[in-house]
Amino acid sequence: METFIAQLMNGLAVGSIYALLVTGFNLLLLVGGVIQYAYPHIVVISMYATWLALKVSGGNLLLSVSAPLVIATALSMATEPLFRPLTKRGATNHTFIMSIGIGMILTHVMAKHLHHGMPISFPENLASHKAAIQFGIAVISGPQMYTFFGTFIAVTAFVLLLYRTMGGHAFRAIAQSPFVARILGIPLGRMAILSYGIAGLLGGVTAVFLAMALGSAYPALGNTLALKVIATVLFAGVGNLGGGLICGLILGTAESLTTGYLPGQWSNAVSFGMIMVVVLFRPAGLFGIRT
Amino acid sequence: MYSRLTLAQTSQIILSVDNVSVSYGFVSALREVSLEILEGEFVALIGANGAGKSTLLETVLGIQRPKSGTISYMNQDITLKPTEWIVASGISLCPEGRGILPEMTILENLFLGAYHNRGRIDQSMSRIFEIFPILQQRRNQKAGTLSGGQQQILSIARALMARTKLFMLDEPSVGLAPMMVNDVLKIIKKLCDEGYTILLAEQNAKKALQFASRAYVFETGKIVIEGVSQELMKNELVIQAYLGV
Repeated sequence: METFIAQLMNGLAVGSIYALLVTGFNLLLLVGGVIQYAYPHIVVISMYATWLALKVSGGNLLLSVSAPLVIATALSMATEPLFRPLTKRGATNHTFIMSIGIGMILTHVMAKHLHHGMPISFPENLASHKAAIQFGIAVISGPQMYTFFGTFIAVTAFVLLLYRTMGGHAFRAIAQSPFVARILGIPLGRMAILSYGIAGLLGGVTAVFLAMALGSAYPALGNTLALKVIATVLFAGVGNLGGGLICGLILGTAESLTTGYLPGQWSNAVSFGMIMVVVLFRPAGLFGIRT
Repeated sequence: MYSRLTLAQTSQIILSVDNVSVSYGFVSALREVSLEILEGEFVALIGANGAGKSTLLETVLGIQRPKSGTISYMNQDITLKPTEWIVASGISLCPEGRGILPEMTILENLFLGAYHNRGRIDQSMSRIFEIFPILQQRRNQKAGTLSGGQQQILSIARALMARTKLFMLDEPSVGLAPMMVNDVLKIIKKLCDEGYTILLAEQNAKKALQFASRAYVFETGKIVIEGVSQELMKNELVIQAYLGV
């Protein structure tokens, strides 16, 4: 029973990180009009930025939390001009190829130039696994709690942005019908750039939680996460923001529970297996596609 | 609706289209089209489907770019201006098919209408609800649940949320029952009486000429006849081609 709770808690923490990643991804797809495979890579590089900031500042938390926010936002916005020639002519599928390329470049930078390609680890005060709550021999650690609640706050803020601000309404209008958005006088180009910025900011937040939850990072993490994100998005239904959030949690929990009870790589088998089943019987995903 | 200028004042040219040609690739959609609209007028564009009426409206709004010719609004050249600039300066389009966002509520649709008029959202909203009580009743319903006629009213109301001076409407009668068509056109006429300028593209020439004071007839991208509605209604060619039962 305690294993179950421990794994469930872990699953929710991991799941909320997937949910955040998927949300940023969907935002870029719906408003930016791009399939940004390299989004998790930007997040992972921001984790490196956190690590660097911690080293350089000697453990200054404020600096090490701001660093990923700045790097992720800047990197994300820097990719916008790369995609622009493609989005201008509506070549959404080609943006996938472009983003794979960007992912390869970022992975290469991490593998060859950052910390000699060796994994980085985050010190205790950021990734403390000291028990925060205990029941029996099961513990919920500080990072898990911070991650889960922190993600909850980030997602709530994002949803408030979407539903209570004019800009958020404009984002949703663009997602539903770029033509109608245009005739309302919504500046599509500027909104797309803004979406890169917000996705980047969200990515920076995700980097902090990832650093807490995983305790380490390595160059290949970008690709690992990217596969999970694409799979989650297909599972939930491409572009479906709400569905993406829920399915991120579902997949994270499924993975974690499997790790607790089955050996080795079964967790991957279970999560990709679930995706296969859904895509076979409901190709549009559990919650349906919203392009 | 707030009363603006009355037609007793000297009307100036609000929109001037000068020798505009538009092509989609190799297909010519508009050929050297020229027209002029005075402030406060109700002008119709009539002609068959594909004759170029929608293309003209979209070109004015900046969605299509002319390959030659110029467009002026309030004496300013807007030929190459971006759509958001044009909308912000007071031109609104109610597109063919209403152009509302079906997944959003009526309230949200109206809210978005004020994208370039955020300072007056609350006042504009209450005024809209006064004029169109049905929209207030259903304000939290998804716009997709409205009937065609109600959606058309929403489209017009949404344009009223902005600081619109020139209303362009593309085929508002399509898909509506005849009684609804009358109601919608009466609303549009009322807008004109209040001082707004109306440019209406309509396949239903009979109805259009009934309500508009002037019209241009489009055929394969060119204006073939223009004139005062009363005259056009008596014109042989127009009667044969467009006013048949």
